[in-house]
Amino acid sequence: MSSIVCKDLCKTFQQGEEIITGLDHVSIEIDAGDFVCLSGPSGSGKTTLLNAMGGLDTPDSGRIRVGNTQVDELGKGPLADMRLHKIGFVFQAYNLIPVLTARENVEFVMQVRGEPAQERSQRSHQILKEVGLEGMEDRRPAQLSGGQQQRVAVARAIVSKPTLVLADEPTANLDSVTAGQLMDLFVELNQNHNITFVIATHDTRVMAYARRLIKMRDGKIISDEKQQQPQIED
Amino acid sequence: MTITLRMAWRNLWRHKRRTWLTVGAMVFSNLILVFSISLQLGSYRMMIDNTLKSYTGHMQIQREGYNDEPKMRSSIDAIIPLADKVRKQLGSDTVAARGVAFAMTSSEERSYGLQIVGVEPEFEPNVSTLPGLITKGSYFEHSNAEEIIIGSVLARNLRVGIGDELTLLGSGHDGSFAAGIAIVGGIFESGIAEIDRSMAQLPIGYFQNLFGMDGRGHNIVINAPELSQLSSVQHAVNNILTANDRLVVLDWEQLQPGLKQAIQADFTSAWFMYGVLIVLVAFSVLNTQLMSVLERTREFGVMMALGVKPARLGSLVITETFVMSGLGLAIGAVLGIAMTYYLSIVGFSYPGMDQMAERFNLPDRMYPSLSLLSIMLGPSIVFLFSLLASIYPAIRLFFLQPVAAMRAV
Amino acid sequence: MNILPLKAMFMLAWRNLWRNHRRTTIMLAAITVGVWAMIFMTALMRGMVDDMLLNGIRSLPGEVQIHHPAYRDDPSINNSIAAPDEELLKALQIPQVTAWTSRVRVPAVISSERDTRGVVLLGIEPDSEVQVSFDADTIYEGRFLEDSSDRGLVIGAKMADHLETDLGKRVVVMSQDPDNNIADRGFRIVGIYKAKLASLEETYIYAGRDTVQKLLKLGDNVSEIAITSEDYRNVDNWYPRIKQAAGEGVETLPWYEVDTYLGSMLAMMDGFVLVWIIIVFLALSFGLVNTLVMAVFERVREIGLMQALGMRPSTILYQILMESLLLLLIGLLLGNILAVGTVIPLQAGIDISIVAEGMEMMGTSSMLYPALKLNDMIMANVIVIVLGLLTSILPAWRAASYDPIEALNKT
Repeated sequence: MSSIVCKDLCKTFQQGEEIITGLDHVSIEIDAGDFVCLSGPSGSGKTTLLNAMGGLDTPDSGRIRVGNTQVDELGKGPLADMRLHKIGFVFQAYNLIPVLTARENVEFVMQVRGEPAQERSQRSHQILKEVGLEGMEDRRPAQLSGGQQQRVAVARAIVSKPTLVLADEPTANLDSVTAGQLMDLFVELNQNHNITFVIATHDTRVMAYARRLIKMRDGKIISDEKQQQPQIED
Repeated sequence: MTITLRMAWRNLWRHKRRTWLTVGAMVFSNLILVFSISLQLGSYRMMIDNTLKSYTGHMQIQREGYNDEPKMRSSIDAIIPLADKVRKQLGSDTVAARGVAFAMTSSEERSYGLQIVGVEPEFEPNVSTLPGLITKGSYFEHSNAEEIIIGSVLARNLRVGIGDELTLLGSGHDGSFAAGIAIVGGIFESGIAEIDRSMAQLPIGYFQNLFGMDGRGHNIVINAPELSQLSSVQHAVNNILTANDRLVVLDWEQLQPGLKQAIQADFTSAWFMYGVLIVLVAFSVLNTQLMSVLERTREFGVMMALGVKPARLGSLVITETFVMSGLGLAIGAVLGIAMTYYLSIVGFSYPGMDQMAERFNLPDRMYPSLSLLSIMLGPSIVFLFSLLASIYPAIRLFFLQPVAAMRAV
Repeated sequence: MNILPLKAMFMLAWRNLWRNHRRTTIMLAAITVGVWAMIFMTALMRGMVDDMLLNGIRSLPGEVQIHHPAYRDDPSINNSIAAPDEELLKALQIPQVTAWTSRVRVPAVISSERDTRGVVLLGIEPDSEVQVSFDADTIYEGRFLEDSSDRGLVIGAKMADHLETDLGKRVVVMSQDPDNNIADRGFRIVGIYKAKLASLEETYIYAGRDTVQKLLKLGDNVSEIAITSEDYRNVDNWYPRIKQAAGEGVETLPWYEVDTYLGSMLAMMDGFVLVWIIIVFLALSFGLVNTLVMAVFERVREIGLMQALGMRPSTILYQILMESLLLLLIGLLLGNILAVGTVIPLQAGIDISIVAEGMEMMGTSSMLYPALKLNDMIMANVIVIVLGLLTSILPAWRAASYDPIEALNKT
């Protein structure tokens, strides 16, 4: 069953005098549990496509379905609800709320969802442990390294058991060792929790992890191929 | 435009909303200040004018001690010749002698204890507005007319009209019994209830006769052409009086200390309120300028690394405040003038104000009066305090370490 | 419902507030000064008006007065009324009435061998008069009248000065009887009083009611019946009862109609307090909005993030409002403490005798007693919170309506 179905998406931006094409009649289906990389140079439309899938951005035309939800039909509020319950986001940087500790950042989403305090603290503890941040739960973002911050962001993205995680250049600010560790974590979560991952990146290190690699340029898909995913040792 | 000024101007508009909000606080306060100060100064002048013009006058010659203890016997000998002398020496007609006594005043039906004032019919209209406010009958023909002029409320209370007789019973200058009859010759209506209820005037000749004054009187009222010339006129009068050291010249502040003090009290409480507004504006400016300095830490670090001295940066911050406060001053003053000008034409009233106003001889609608002082005073102080408030943010720049600053976010 | 629990919102707001502690401190200082000024100034004004009213009400009118219908316009001996009948006496028993008295009050002339003055002669019944208006403590020489048939006279210190007379000396009081015959009588001065307002000392002289009634051939008639209760603000609750008992032939009025100046002062002061509070608030509001605009501006990316994480725009709106509320509450707390802290030491009275004669024109005495009223404090606090939140809606709403993508990409 397809987890995401995009049909004929178009989006243009105005930048000064110029009109820039973000998405140019893009259609794509992504299966549940897949691990997909969107790659391409900056301006190729990968971030726009990712944002459209997450309901952060609305395309000018075309249709998007995520799970059973017809995303293009939703208003601002229901879109927010969908992101809250079904989708986890990981951004390039500034992922965390600076006044909250690692644990509070993770619990924040659960709190918005209205989950009881006991379950929150249990799950956040467990998940921070899973991403390798045991003992750092009470640090604020400023006291964590870039890699650790991204791990907190990942923990927050998966804590509410989403069916889909959207990551936009998650490794952009990380050195290659940390980047590798983060990708290992992604694959592990993909396999253990059956979460669909869609990652927009132009980092070749990241692309190597994909089971499906989609290349984009000028708002169009120029290639779409399956590839062997490296095995992760537990 | 110097480069500093140009930079300051552009910097201000990097945060349009913040700048406008800060300017808005200034404009709001300036508006209030221009309006209230105009209203205040206008009503003070009116209070003084109305009170002094109706009766008290700008200054009075009295026997020493009379002002504190106005006794029948604290009188001035040969008062008319003295008044003539003052008129001649000052070359002014706005000088009039008066005598003051108490008498039980009875009509056929009613009796009231009243203060009776003897006046010079020829000169009294030059120092007091009351003779001009006669609505029935007329003012005295001559100094010995056996006539009395009374206020409208008093006439109603005594149940008398023009031509009716009033009997006066009191004590004369030497303490002996004084009695006489006067015909109501005129009734005035000043609109000030207190005066209309209690004022009764006789011509001074008849007054002296009735109360056994033997040419004496109690005060000589002198008006200066303008309130501003008061002290020079007072000085001149003092010179005339050197011959008689038992006489003094008292100005209106001494004659009506209550008026002066009411103004002072009002002034003080008003400035407390203005002070609060000004301090709040200063806080606004302090906040804005401190924020604007903090968020530019990196920029300032770079500039310092390039060799710009902290003093130069400080003056940039002050210049920014200067421009911002200048805007606040200009807009505030213009709007203040517009609003106050409008109200100075249509007038301004507040429920309950008429009762208050009456106590201070004011009309029941107030008309603020615009003057350069009333327009510029408030806004200038706001301007000054805004500049003062930017000193702290400017001083912070002197403690900036360029390398650390450049690393700041 | 994806709304943050209150506790979490509160915690987030609190931490956000102190991220920029300088800005928050300055804004708090501004709110504190503003709230202090609101309450402090109001307490002074209230104190002044209270004093004015108490002086006014105590120094003669009484809270409710019964007169001849024509008396107020023409306060003459001819406009007198009969002593209270049985029905009125019964009505005066109601619990709200703490005291009442009946007096003769006529214009008169007083003469010593030195001088003559116009005065108001009061023929009183000393025991009840003391409860209604006259402060026996203010007698500083001699004694107060003993009973209605006391043949002595009590005058003000200022008047004694004017007349150059003294305790124990004789003066002549002249007035008219109902037939307009001059009635005069010699009195011995048995007491001299000092009043808070010098003008009262110059205006009122006191004699026994029976003595005055006899002098003026009044029989049992009086000029007015004055009634007091526990609180002058509540006269409306009970005076209609008295009015009904007093009947149609006489005029029964509460103090604010007897002395419209006092009545209007009270109303004017209420209005003034409101205007003052609102003006101070408006001066504050610019800074408040500015602070919030800055706080939102600095956090645009964070707000975008929260939206991406699934916070509804309304949650973000509430979050900013919570921050504003917290700021207002702390400012209010400090402002209230400062106001109470500055008013309490001043409650013994502020000496404003420098401008005593000016204050007397307004009807207040030379000591100003600030009056901290719970109602005024509540009003100031409520206005600041309600209007404060209303003005915060704009920046909060702006924050809530950011486009998440633009917000996230803001550098």
